[in-house]
Amino acid sequence: MFDRLPLPSQFDRVIIAGGTVAAIVATPVLVVLLGLLLSDVISGPEFVFYLAAIVVVAGALGAVLMPNVVHAALCLVATLLGVAGIYLLLLTEFIALVQVLVYGGGVVILLLFGLMMTNAVDDPVVTDGSQKPFAFLVAAVMGGLFVAVMVDARWGDPTASVVPFVDFGTRIFRDFSVPVIVVAILLDIALTGAFINARRAEEAPLERAEEAAR
Amino acid sequence: MIPIENFLILSAILFAIGFYGVLARRSAILILMAVELMLAGVAINFIAFATYLDADAFSGLVFALFVITVAAAEVGLALGVVLRLFRERRTANVDEANSLKW
Repeated sequence: MFDRLPLPSQFDRVIIAGGTVAAIVATPVLVVLLGLLLSDVISGPEFVFYLAAIVVVAGALGAVLMPNVVHAALCLVATLLGVAGIYLLLLTEFIALVQVLVYGGGVVILLLFGLMMTNAVDDPVVTDGSQKPFAFLVAAVMGGLFVAVMVDARWGDPTASVVPFVDFGTRIFRDFSVPVIVVAILLDIALTGAFINARRAEEAPLERAEEAAR
Repeated sequence: MIPIENFLILSAILFAIGFYGVLARRSAILILMAVELMLAGVAINFIAFATYLDADAFSGLVFALFVITVAAAEVGLALGVVLRLFRERRTANVDEANSLKW
């Protein structure tokens, strides 16, 4: 049946396999969460939070564990969209929008370009270093330490104040104008530097000639 | 309302996963992806603290916005460096770019 679908062969295999795995994993999780929601163990926002958190953690694990670099990048997209959902739950819709636009649109496309021009040219499957057990140990110790500290600490009463969407621009340019300018200059310098750095050497014959004359 | 610990634990887990990726991966671009995960964890922390503990609820948002901006600049710049490295050495693995190693 799948042969008749007008899809490139590798692409449809990726989609079908990924969709099947996601459905097999997601169905029991959804059933458990819905049961908890209906039996009033968790509230509606918490239900959404756990859903988004599962997407975030699963995508992050896929992004660091997948051997195929393109699959890893697609997992990263899932994580970043889940993080945008977390931002929405924290009542900051502007940051969520920026997250989807900048990360989901720009950064992931840049990363995919980089992967296509380097690793994926010859072989999209990479091997990780031999330092894996050490890396796992360090990350587990660090994550455990963070979680322990954050559970142990006593946080003040939540204020849950929200900056209205319409006030955001006024306040960011009034109270934080200098950091905005600094970030603008940083972006300018970084992207100009990236352009100059990545330019092909043949496109700069003048510089080459100067170097040769020296 | 969701307890703040939920967000903090999620951000710690995300940071730890990203840290594992930074240490375990060899390809420079995959390391960058793991760094993005770490930055996302940090940004979640900033916004959780801003929404829950700051009566003004603004500084944390601005910090998260700047984290996203700097991450975008970093990806663009690092991509240029990696492309240059790939053109010179035909590899994007960080452990093969060791000519500065003594």
